[in-house]
Amino acid sequence: MERDKSLSYERKYTNGEITVYWKQDACVHASYCYRELIEVFDPGRRPWVDMKGAPTERIIETVNLCPTEALTWKWNDDEKNNSIQPDQTNHIKFRRPELMNQDPANMKENPVSVKVMVDGPIVVKGSFTLDNNGKKKEIIESLISICRCGASNHQPFCDGQHRKIGFTG
Amino acid sequence: MEEKKENRTEALIKVIEAGPLKITGNFIIKDLKKGEETSPGEIWLCRCGKSANKPYCDGSHNKK
Repeated sequence: MERDKSLSYERKYTNGEITVYWKQDACVHASYCYRELIEVFDPGRRPWVDMKGAPTERIIETVNLCPTEALTWKWNDDEKNNSIQPDQTNHIKFRRPELMNQDPANMKENPVSVKVMVDGPIVVKGSFTLDNNGKKKEIIESLISICRCGASNHQPFCDGQHRKIGFTG
Repeated sequence: MEEKKENRTEALIKVIEAGPLKITGNFIIKDLKKGEETSPGEIWLCRCGKSANKPYCDGSHNKK
C-alpha cells in the first residue's frame, strides 16, 4: 500500500515532445517555476501544469531551474535522451535515473478526471474507455456524466432526475 | 493505427449491470462534498443511490 501512496504524488505532463514529471513530496517551494513561467506552472490552477502555455525550450529552461527533483523532464524521443548533456541539470538522467528506460507504453501522462458532484452525478473527463455492460467505446478528450442516484431514465447516464427525487450523497 | 488509439486512453470506466461503476487506470477522483482528491488506481462507485458509504459501493444494490 505504501507504493500506491507514493504513486499518488507523482504526475506526468506532456506536450508530445517532452514529458515533465512532478514529484510533489520533493518540492521545497523555491518557486522558480511559477516566477519564471506562470503560463505553464500555475499553482492556483488545476491541473497546475499546462504544457501548452509555452514553447518546449522555455519549459526545459524553467524545469532546469528547480533546485530539487520535484520537477524533472525528458524527451519523448528516447534517442535524444541518451545523448543528453549535463548542462540539462533537471533531465531525469541526472535527477531521477530510475525513470530512464521506462517502457513508453506504460507512460501515464494525462490522468482522467473523475468528479463526484454534490448530490449529483459522477463526471468523467479526459481520454478513457467506457465499457457499458460489455459495449466498449473510446472517449477522447471529452466528458460524460454517470447517474449516481439510480433514478435516471437514460442509464447509465445522468438525466437530471437526482434533483426531482431530492437525492443526497 | 489501432495501437495509437489504445495509447490515448488512460483509464477504463466500466458500467456493471445492476451494479457499481468500476474505474481503473490513471485517474484522479475528486469528491466535491468532502473536498478530497486522490488517485487510488481502482475504485468502485455506487450507481443505485442506496450505499451507506457514498460515493463508494457497499453492495446495497443487491438488497431488496
